[in-house]
Amino acid sequence: MLNQAAVQEIILQALNNINDERGPDEQLTVGLDTRLFGADAVLDSLSLVSVIVDVEAAVSDAAGRDISLTDDRAMSQSVSPFTDVNALTAYILLLLSEPA
Amino acid sequence: MSVAASAYAGKLTLITGSRRGVGRLMAEHILAQGGRVAGFARGESTIDHPDYHHFQVDIGDPASVQQGFAQLKKVSDTVHIVINNAAVLTSQYAMIMPPAQAQAMLNTNLMGAFMVSREASKMMRKAKWGRIINIGSMAVSLEPIGDSMYAACKAGLATLANVMAKELAPLNVTCNTLGITAIKTDMLAQLPQDKIADVIAGLPLPRFAEPDDIFNVIDFLASERSAYITAQTIYLGGVN
Repeated sequence: MLNQAAVQEIILQALNNINDERGPDEQLTVGLDTRLFGADAVLDSLSLVSVIVDVEAAVSDAAGRDISLTDDRAMSQSVSPFTDVNALTAYILLLLSEPA
Repeated sequence: MSVAASAYAGKLTLITGSRRGVGRLMAEHILAQGGRVAGFARGESTIDHPDYHHFQVDIGDPASVQQGFAQLKKVSDTVHIVINNAAVLTSQYAMIMPPAQAQAMLNTNLMGAFMVSREASKMMRKAKWGRIINIGSMAVSLEPIGDSMYAACKAGLATLANVMAKELAPLNVTCNTLGITAIKTDMLAQLPQDKIADVIAGLPLPRFAEPDDIFNVIDFLASERSAYITAQTIYLGGVN
């Protein structure tokens, strides 16, 4: 099963993918506390969608099972899984800890 | 190289409902132009061509669509062009339309196109290029008796394309709708012929559509030069 470091690496890679598409003056500061969603978010809506799609695909490939980050459960969490990289990591590890 | 050939050369076009009718005609046209085609349909393939890849998918079932894309990704990293063609039709007064038939139209004609566009756009995102073409219908404009759910689904297809056009514009993906008129297919044969004759007679150009009428618009919307054309509905036959 994927561990915390592996999941974090997948998310950080997805953020780096966004940076690859941006100019030198538009680079995101990528780290575990990078805000993904909410008032202080560094991502615009389409970039957040791109990160979600990349992370869903990469985690599903690595774990050998499909996960969904955009179902009703994700959207109804008291703390949004998309708050920052740490929150998203914790939510993915929760999903992976449950039976497929 | 012809305009049509240049639109499809080196590209993969996904067509839903590719086994018969308009879907099969379009698949054969694109293959003849040197393009590769992936077909989604519930039944087995009816097209034998080295550049045709068939996937048995019920596009009215979201899980089946996702499984179809998982299989498709084994033969291609991306989809360049999507033609949302698959549709089912039950024509009946709304008061006696079986709910299951109405639901089936909603699932296949609208939800299916949404799911296919959703999954395809994820693949187009990385290539930063794509064309999504929804096959609409003159029924949206003519609003024929008996076609309440069918026409509503087809109207929804145009709205679906228009909204997705905005969402996908930054990714260089265009989304348009082709509203076709009656063409001699299995689906049309289900309808009363006198009703069809009346509809045809009322068109500004009173004849059945020919396959080339459809190919002409599909080739145009799929072409590189149509990059600045999105969120549009083009009707055949003078319907508006």
